[in-house]
Amino acid sequence: MKSKSKLFLAVAAACLVAWAFVTVIPLYWMIVGSVQDSTSSASFRPEMFPGVLSLAPYERFFGKTAAWRWLANSLLISAVLTITNVFFASLAGYAFSKLKFPGSKAVFWLLLSTMMIPAQVTLIPLYVLVVNVFDLGDSYTAIILPTAVTVGNIFLMKQYMSSLPTSLIHAARIDACSEFGIFWKVILPLAKPGLAVLGIFTFVASWNEFFWPFLITNSTEMRTIQVGLASFVFAESTDFGAIMAGATVGALPMLILFFSLQRYFLQGITIGAVKG
Amino acid sequence: MQRTIAPKRRRAAGRFWREYGWAYLFILAPVLLFLVFTLYPVISALIMSFQQYNIMQSTWVGLDNYERLFKDDTFWKSVWNTVVFTVCTVPVNIILTFVLAHFIYQMKTKWQTFFKATMYLPAVASGVTISIVWLAIFDPTDVGLLNRFLGLFGLDPVIWLGQSKTALFSLILMNWLGSHGAGIILYLASMGGIPKSLYEAADIDHASGWTRFRAITWPLLKPTTLYLLVTGVITSFQVFISVYMMTQGGPNFATTTIAYLIYQTAFKFYEFGLASAQSFVLAFLIILVSVIQFKYFSSDVEY
Amino acid sequence: MALVEFRQVRKEFIDRNKQPFTAVAGSDFVIQDKEFVVFVGPSGCGKTTSLRMIAGLERQTSGDIIIGDRIVNDLHPKDRDIAMVFQDYALYPHMTIRENLSFGLRNLKKPKEYIEQKVREASAILGLEKMLERKPRELSGGQRQRVALGRAIVRDPQVFLFDEPLSNLDAKLRIQMRVELSELHKRLGATIVYVTHDQVEAMTLGERIVVMNQGVIQQIASPTELYANPKNMFVAGFIGSPPMNFINARVEQGRIVVDGGSFGLPENIAERLSAYSGKEVVLGIRPEDIYGEDFAPGVSTEHRLQAHIQVVEHLGSENLIYFHVGGRMVTAKVHPETKGYTGLAKEFILDLRKCHFFDPATQERITGK
Repeated sequence: MKSKSKLFLAVAAACLVAWAFVTVIPLYWMIVGSVQDSTSSASFRPEMFPGVLSLAPYERFFGKTAAWRWLANSLLISAVLTITNVFFASLAGYAFSKLKFPGSKAVFWLLLSTMMIPAQVTLIPLYVLVVNVFDLGDSYTAIILPTAVTVGNIFLMKQYMSSLPTSLIHAARIDACSEFGIFWKVILPLAKPGLAVLGIFTFVASWNEFFWPFLITNSTEMRTIQVGLASFVFAESTDFGAIMAGATVGALPMLILFFSLQRYFLQGITIGAVKG
Repeated sequence: MQRTIAPKRRRAAGRFWREYGWAYLFILAPVLLFLVFTLYPVISALIMSFQQYNIMQSTWVGLDNYERLFKDDTFWKSVWNTVVFTVCTVPVNIILTFVLAHFIYQMKTKWQTFFKATMYLPAVASGVTISIVWLAIFDPTDVGLLNRFLGLFGLDPVIWLGQSKTALFSLILMNWLGSHGAGIILYLASMGGIPKSLYEAADIDHASGWTRFRAITWPLLKPTTLYLLVTGVITSFQVFISVYMMTQGGPNFATTTIAYLIYQTAFKFYEFGLASAQSFVLAFLIILVSVIQFKYFSSDVEY
Repeated sequence: MALVEFRQVRKEFIDRNKQPFTAVAGSDFVIQDKEFVVFVGPSGCGKTTSLRMIAGLERQTSGDIIIGDRIVNDLHPKDRDIAMVFQDYALYPHMTIRENLSFGLRNLKKPKEYIEQKVREASAILGLEKMLERKPRELSGGQRQRVALGRAIVRDPQVFLFDEPLSNLDAKLRIQMRVELSELHKRLGATIVYVTHDQVEAMTLGERIVVMNQGVIQQIASPTELYANPKNMFVAGFIGSPPMNFINARVEQGRIVVDGGSFGLPENIAERLSAYSGKEVVLGIRPEDIYGEDFAPGVSTEHRLQAHIQVVEHLGSENLIYFHVGGRMVTAKVHPETKGYTGLAKEFILDLRKCHFFDPATQERITGK
């Protein structure tokens, strides 16, 4: 093949290395910035390759904020959202893909059709509903409930489930399995790879979610790490080291998750996106 | 067949629930959540957009909100900013993504994985984190990485986010240099799905590299391109976090996007009615652009 | 007592284009206790739908289904006292073979010792004892097939339902399993309803065969009866390989005229065709009832047909000779000694005692009654 000449490959490799460098440099800068003590001297200038490392920025970040509480909030909320989304989205996805019932298509299309409506439209009534009508402002429930199971996830699970063999469901039905039993004992074990991907992406998305928790929380204790971090940046805009430490704290759990479950991340993106 | 025992005919309704009840139960939770947290809010927002909203007592004002926003320079400015941001980011990102994917495709599997992982990496960090880091990179003082980099070439420092000339461009630049990992992975998956025999046939026909691209690669990757285009436009029409974190829409509304304007109208000035009207204009724009893209882009692709 | 009966059973679907589609158009039949009945027909003929309706996986639009002495219309599959073997085996991939076999009994809350005993019995019958702790993916196709059978056997059902169980096996294994299935039927003494698209499988396994086409039952009969006396052109053409030849013919003054020859008819046949004098008919003759003139032992040689040979296939034990008669391709399955070359004009002898006549309009066999 023409395009595989050595020169082309060398140029391509060089471009890729350069771009990879550009892509990771902000994250590198963040981490490197977080371990240099910006308050050590008046003329502080963060270095790409610092000589002296210091954890003082982290001490200041955790000292000045309720960051541990925020991390705990984020962990709790993300964990709950992951469980509810995986469970309800797979259950509904299973029903939409494998069970026949009157209205299934109509309901599914109703759900799907609202996906194109931007979040900004529902935001205000949602806020009024949760804060004024349900009186749930500043609570975990308020943060979790609206996204306990999202239409996007149901759609992904429907796509995924439809590739599972229907004969297994029939076999299980003849094997005297209850309908929920079929889902729980036959479908879920089969769908594990899909559930893992869905779970991981939901967890990351929930951890990184900013706007809704930001809108719905008032007290410092109820903030998630992202919301807390944003408030910290506005309050302490001059403390470079502490800000970078905070950014690192907000991102590090996800970076660790990415490195330990890289395979799921890289393969999972293609699930349900485009066919063919 | 006298011995045949017919069980008591159950009522039709009973049979219906026995046959379908489970399925309805399985979709119950999502449907309830949908009704309460999506459908009701959409309808409610529509009503609000025709009201002077107040928790206690809303008054019906007809099209006043829409009239107000169409006469509002800030609104048009925000539409302009959003469109500029979208037009400058999405196509560039797609070309960038495609070229990177094309290059990666030539590499050995081990390196493919390495580049995929590296270029995806920033996507796992939150918008808040990324914004904070770029805030530091754009810093006009000595801390700012970008100015230090330009200094290497003897260029003067720039007040990236602080002046209306460069503020929106800064956000666009940050977007270009962000993660294109997801798109790269999608392109690579589609590239792997193109049958080798097509290229072999093209080689036999002495097709040039450009012809191969135009006749095989591009048409067969069109669904992926369309997907990236549509999702890219939808996402960038709603850009918010970087604006909120880095510029607060300023200076002088230079970076006020529609999403940010809606946030301000609703939660700074508590004009829920007006904000709802703005959000419906945004929704209309998004749906319009998506439909146009589907129409002019997807028609001739068949698998 | 486990007969299976259909009374005016219909099944209608709405297909993808929102058009109503009749999968089964009013079936009526009785499958006797301990009988091995095979449903056969081309894909989409309604045979699998019929089986699923017996299983309760699909509900009939109208009509009654009876298993044993109960109308089972409203019964859940688990209450119908049936077991099913699926085309793709449908083994639970995440369970061991033991768990696969016992899954149904465990769901039915049978006592532990009973389950263990049943699993032991079934695995002994099928030779699965050594692989009980393995997962399905570690097994070969034939072994998986056996597990699927075992899963049905442990249930001790009154009726076994088989949905094309051998179609995923290679040819050699399929023949072996065919023999085993026949033996199993004798051993279990249960009613078996078996669906296949393969007429050879149907002929070798079935005590009676139900031939279906486009949702309609064409004929229900024993294999020999079906072969010797097909009710219509569909059955005649479907059963037998190579299929029966159809030749356009005319009845004229007690003679039958075809392109390339005309024959005087034996009396019994002439009688049958009395109503068709001067009309078109379709002559159906099986390839093995056509002989070359040079090798026709024990056949009356008076019914001769002249034709140009198109192709000769040498299969070793026999030769297949193809030629055209009146625009239709005809196959003769002849003795390997029979001479014949492509392009050669040759005389063939038809054994008219074994041929059938069909009404070209109704496609029904002309019986003269």
